[in-house]
Amino acid sequence: MTTDRLIDLLRASRADAWEITDTQTEGWEFYFIRHRLDQNRARNVQHIKLRVFRLLEDGAGMGSATAQIEPTAGEEETRELIDKLTEDARYAVNPPWKLNRPAEVTGTLPAFDLSAMAEAYLTAMRDVPETDTEDLNSYEIFVNRHTERFINSEGIDISQIYPEATLETVVNARNSEREIELYDLHNAGDCDREAVMREVSEMMRYGRDRLCAVPTPPLGTADVLFSTRDAVELYKWFAARMDAAYKYQQLSDWEIGSSYEIREGDPVTLLARACLPGSSGNRLIDAEGAVVRDLVLIDAGVPVRFWGAGQFRSYLGGEDGYLVRNFEVKGGTAAEEELRQGSYLEVVEFSDFSVDDVTGDIAGEIRLGYWHDKGRVTPVTGGSVSGSLRGSAADMRLSSEQRQYDNWVIPHLTRIPGLHVTGIETSGT
Amino acid sequence: MKAEFSPWLASQAAALKELIAQLSSHYDHVSILATDSRGFLVLASQHNRMIDRRTLTTERGVVVRVHRDGLYSEYAFNAEDLADPGAVAARLRTTLDAQLSVLSRVGTGVYDTPAVQDPPLTIFAEMETDGLPEETDPAAVMELLGSYSDRAVSMDERIVECQARVSSTHVNKMFLTAHRDERQSYVFTEASLFVIGSQDGRTEMAYADASDRNGPGIISRLEDQIGDTVKNVLEMLTADRVEPGEYEIITSPEVTGLIAHEAFGHGVEMDMFVKKRALGAEYIGKRVGSDLVTMHEGAACAVDVTSYAFDDEGVPAGDVTEIDRGILKTGICDTLSALRLGCEPTGNGKRQNFEHKVYTRMTNTMFDSGSDTLEEMIASVKKGYLLEGMHSGMEDPKHWGIQCIIARGREIVDGRLTGRVVAPVVMTGYVPDLLGSVSMVSGDRASFGNGACGKGHKEWVKVADGGPYLKARARLG
Repeated sequence: MTTDRLIDLLRASRADAWEITDTQTEGWEFYFIRHRLDQNRARNVQHIKLRVFRLLEDGAGMGSATAQIEPTAGEEETRELIDKLTEDARYAVNPPWKLNRPAEVTGTLPAFDLSAMAEAYLTAMRDVPETDTEDLNSYEIFVNRHTERFINSEGIDISQIYPEATLETVVNARNSEREIELYDLHNAGDCDREAVMREVSEMMRYGRDRLCAVPTPPLGTADVLFSTRDAVELYKWFAARMDAAYKYQQLSDWEIGSSYEIREGDPVTLLARACLPGSSGNRLIDAEGAVVRDLVLIDAGVPVRFWGAGQFRSYLGGEDGYLVRNFEVKGGTAAEEELRQGSYLEVVEFSDFSVDDVTGDIAGEIRLGYWHDKGRVTPVTGGSVSGSLRGSAADMRLSSEQRQYDNWVIPHLTRIPGLHVTGIETSGT
Repeated sequence: MKAEFSPWLASQAAALKELIAQLSSHYDHVSILATDSRGFLVLASQHNRMIDRRTLTTERGVVVRVHRDGLYSEYAFNAEDLADPGAVAARLRTTLDAQLSVLSRVGTGVYDTPAVQDPPLTIFAEMETDGLPEETDPAAVMELLGSYSDRAVSMDERIVECQARVSSTHVNKMFLTAHRDERQSYVFTEASLFVIGSQDGRTEMAYADASDRNGPGIISRLEDQIGDTVKNVLEMLTADRVEPGEYEIITSPEVTGLIAHEAFGHGVEMDMFVKKRALGAEYIGKRVGSDLVTMHEGAACAVDVTSYAFDDEGVPAGDVTEIDRGILKTGICDTLSALRLGCEPTGNGKRQNFEHKVYTRMTNTMFDSGSDTLEEMIASVKKGYLLEGMHSGMEDPKHWGIQCIIARGREIVDGRLTGRVVAPVVMTGYVPDLLGSVSMVSGDRASFGNGACGKGHKEWVKVADGGPYLKARARLG
């Protein structure tokens, strides 16, 4: 089934409107144990996503339903599926909204070569400096070229080609008594050899420190400093507060023009960015055909506009957002040295750091932290950090320096006072 | 009724066998997994209605695995014209050779692995189901889910939203080699309620769920859970945080399942043994839990969302006793890891879908039942918590650390529930300490198949886990 033939079938169907996203993906994958090739894989796949819309006769509602059209599907199979979807749409009815219409696309996406990107990652990982006590256990390299065409019944027909790369790395560190590992998942839209080498080297340093780490003391509450990729999870909670779907479904109570509570902390400024260097989120249009551009979402703690799906933005009266992939959080007022004053726990490796996007609850088991106290720095491990951004956002301090993690640019350091720290030497019953 | 095997897959079998024959002149071993799985997802809430004929596991595609010179390679596709197997074979070779050319320039060596044996095997499994997603009326499903959402929200003004959803998939998979022809068809369904409450700027969520290797009829199992789920949210809206420390705990079956999954589920996935990433490899035959701890894993050891007839490498479903009365017996293994370790595969080779690589993955991971009652267990606790509702967990097979984020804890003092609730609860610890402290096990058990499991932070597959109530000691924060 070709996309053009699919459009013909849709025009002859009962659908009042439709959107097609036809994505062809060429993917190369390489799996390593130490530096020996475990397996190589190639993908050559096409996914045609179809969403059809039906308007209620009284105009009070719009139904929609979605499916994948298989590229191997014949005309009869496709026509039957379109019939099912147009029927389904009668039962998934929401208040009506307007689909995106054609708009001028001014940006461009850089050209790239899949094979060259794969070779760059393979070479970078081959050249990672290892020692007798810190080395690579295993790694997996994924590089993709996506060729995407978006068409809708309003007249949009835009194609874009974009890259996507993932590197999973497991590092071992050992001494005479034991061996430990650290894990990292790196996503990007290119291969920044220096960034890859820096991140793997950081993992090896953390591995060395974890070998001599002592149990995390039972601190009760402490200031916690976030200085790694985990901090992105904190800022995703702010982005979720401004997601139109969350707002419409009452999962966010933030209001445009009304600042969230700020006490001693730095107010967050959150931007939607059309393009970030080397980001896997760089696009010309979003998944619904809206042209991407730079926008302010939160300005110094004050919500400015909601972003997200057109359906929910429409309900809130905010028509100028889009489905954002690239975000930037502006730096705060303090230099890094200022945020490193006094006693604090800097956690650089969690088992799994999570921030609940609804409740704001923070949780993570400490694999490696540094307890900075009275001029001494002690590597610690074990126990957990917990708390909630609901209350702690008011006192969050942000460094003026920034760092990029794929599609997020955030303050390099984020300090949150008063989080709960469960240590190994317990104080409970 | 039986879940009928995909006519589309059946129609492609001859061409795929011809593809195997053509590739076999160039490679030592060739296998193919072809998939054609249909389904739907229906969601009803107070603010949104959605019907999608895609689920996590719907797919149609082909993945070819080839072996030559000690190296396994794969090519996945879904748009090739199978009427010309020769053209597909040529594209496969051209693409993989291009990769090998790059690898040669980089100077990459191969993790030398022998060719898999290929004894003849034929399986044709059409499993029983009470309904097929492709024949289910989405209007009726939407109406039922909408009524659940309405009922939950009407129970208390603090309930701001209830999202009711069901996802049902008719799985069809065909595994072919020169000597094997395996075909399976089954239906699994998962349904859930997410109830959200808000009070004084605080928002909390609780959920209820149902899952089975069966049709969409299981949705009705949610109905009896609506009231309790609303009650749980309301309690969580005023819950305190737990005072960090070590406590006596009683885990409800879903939390028991989370422990099973994170503690010794991931810890005995034997592809991790190949990479020396799992401490479990050194503990086979040694004590890792109390005498009350017995744990099974396998597609054949329970009936839930991942109870298939064969895995994605054509290995029949298994039932492995991983821990027998506290002693670690063995792990679970995919085919290539078994070749490298010199053992037998256990039917645990799974892919996210045809586009993804096989890893050793869990299916049903279950603690065995004991003989205690929940009432006896509560009565035995001096100061502790009954832990309910799982949010997430994280494995750490290399160091046997465990992290479980649990929805809420009900305080127990002097053998009685006090009515005080803490939420959420982060449970951490060292796996042998946690399992070694298991001192009571209830006689009932349940499995839970909603949600998905990742390997690291990717490769999402369906799993189920569960067990009885366990009494143990753990660190909470």
